[in-house]
Amino acid sequence: MTPSTLSAALKSFRAAIGAANVFAADDDRRAYSDHYSPDESKHMPTAAVAPASVEEVRAIVRIANEHKVPLWPISRGKNFGYGGAAPVVKESVVLDLGRMKKIELDPDSGTVLVEPGVGFFDLYDYLQNNRIPLWLSVPGNSWGSVAGNALDRGVGYTPYGDHSAQICGLEVVLPTGELVRTGMGAMSGSPTWLTYRNGFGPGWDQMFVQSNFGIVTKLGLWLMPEPEALLGYDFEFDKPEDLGWAVDTIAPLRREGVIRQAPSMGNWLRSAAVMTTRDQWTKSKGPLGEDVITAIRKRFNIGWWSVQVRTYGHLDIAEAALKVVAKAFAGKPVLAMKPTRWVRGDPAEGSPFSGVPISFPLANANWHGGRGGHVGYSPMLPAKGSLALDQFRRTHALYEKYGMDYHASFAFGERSITNVNQLLFDRDDPAMMGRVDAMFRELVQDARAKNYGEYRTHIEYMDLVASTYDFGNGALRRLNEKVKDALDPNGIVAPGKSGIWPAAMRKERK
Amino acid sequence: MNWLPLSLVLLIAAAAAQEPATQGTQVRNATGGAIQNRSSHSAAEALFVEKCGMCHREMGMGTVILARRMEPAKAMLEKRTDLVADFVIAAARSGVGNMPRISRGEVSDAQLKIISDYLAKATP
Repeated sequence: MTPSTLSAALKSFRAAIGAANVFAADDDRRAYSDHYSPDESKHMPTAAVAPASVEEVRAIVRIANEHKVPLWPISRGKNFGYGGAAPVVKESVVLDLGRMKKIELDPDSGTVLVEPGVGFFDLYDYLQNNRIPLWLSVPGNSWGSVAGNALDRGVGYTPYGDHSAQICGLEVVLPTGELVRTGMGAMSGSPTWLTYRNGFGPGWDQMFVQSNFGIVTKLGLWLMPEPEALLGYDFEFDKPEDLGWAVDTIAPLRREGVIRQAPSMGNWLRSAAVMTTRDQWTKSKGPLGEDVITAIRKRFNIGWWSVQVRTYGHLDIAEAALKVVAKAFAGKPVLAMKPTRWVRGDPAEGSPFSGVPISFPLANANWHGGRGGHVGYSPMLPAKGSLALDQFRRTHALYEKYGMDYHASFAFGERSITNVNQLLFDRDDPAMMGRVDAMFRELVQDARAKNYGEYRTHIEYMDLVASTYDFGNGALRRLNEKVKDALDPNGIVAPGKSGIWPAAMRKERK
Repeated sequence: MNWLPLSLVLLIAAAAAQEPATQGTQVRNATGGAIQNRSSHSAAEALFVEKCGMCHREMGMGTVILARRMEPAKAMLEKRTDLVADFVIAAARSGVGNMPRISRGEVSDAQLKIISDYLAKATP
């Protein structure tokens, strides 16, 4: 993009949405860059535009087509660890949808239609202020957008924790500017847009998830009716090897639907990294020894692994399910098994298990002191104990090889396990940042050798991760790019997102 | 995905008194106590809650980290008496430590002025 193209585009953007909503100063560029990156210039946008309505979004898209300016849509831009607000392609114009904050909630059907700017705290406040007995499912860092998180396949802690699976109905501005509504929304005035997913003919909701095929301006989402009871156990396990049998105990309960939320089994560092900094435990820059691990476990009274299992619903049902959980663990060598219990009428349960949004867990970015950050590598595994244990051993060895502190969890989907490997770093430590990049690449290779793929990734690694999906010599990538070219002939919407490049920019693929 | 240590909130929340319940006794989730006070008494305070509260009220990431660097009782910005408006604006726009820069799309200059005046209790 030449400077004159950019300046012409900016002029048109200003005319369309007001100069006060077009941001192109140096401070603005930095504000929309990846603030966890050791080199923010790598993915720095050239400007940002912040429309207030779908009509303004369409006007911006028309201008972007006219000048062939790439847009990078964000909802609230809080996808920290995945690039934040920053685009894959440097010098894109960030399309900041954060000012679009309409909430249309139907308490009777337990559905909500949100615009991209609605954050989890906004929606939580709306439910509380209007005393609506519906619970959110929030991610561990809840400052982001409800719609944006669902569209990036974010996860939460309740039975509605697979957020993209709760999507029902979208409104989308296509890359050429047309406005479409999916599912039943394709019928004007339909009362079932947010209650019946499929509509008539092909269903397109998931086509706009983790893709660059359109700009979602409204998203329908199902919310969980407040249950009568939320019961559970907090389990602790003493040894790393306990992972294997614990997975084989929990996975069948998850598959059968006895456990309907996604328990996450994580190691001792999860707690320490949020609550403390590394220098409180050791002055050594080297690996954390057994003495430190023992001290951390003692201080927080936790196992090598911990997992919290919850049952939801009418009290009779939640109690019956919890009994089945207890029976499955009976006679097995758990270190501790502590019950939790909330029944309607009790004081608020008060945690993300009941949809309370939180931000404190990202205090773990401060683990090394200084300006910290994190990046995650999260492949999907079959829900099998022996494979989880093998994955743990290989990845743990990689943490040791690269001198990084082991920080991982195994989260139970209905039929799969997500192995979240968290790399906590200090971005002002260049040597460490070099190790992070090298280790990330080796984690990808290691998983690929076992035929495991990642479910979501940072903007820097989208091509790398996409390249591991190689069946038919990249047949899925070719399909994605055929669709991309058909919908977005000028290649203006989020080029490079999820490794999908428009025709004119394929040479940019890394 | 951030699957986080929910069982640890107790250590900083310390809110876990057991209370009588209607059906059996409540056993407080160790994570209970993560709820923020989201109330406000003025338009300026409401704007602070909407834009900043998630990190800078109870249990916010900012509050948790600031508690490591100063007297914990003053970790919440609203309890500070030493803030001046220009510092608040500079911190929001430039970021501080682990705090990201706040864009003008997220908080406009006019909104940031209202928030910084609300927080500024020191004489400049």
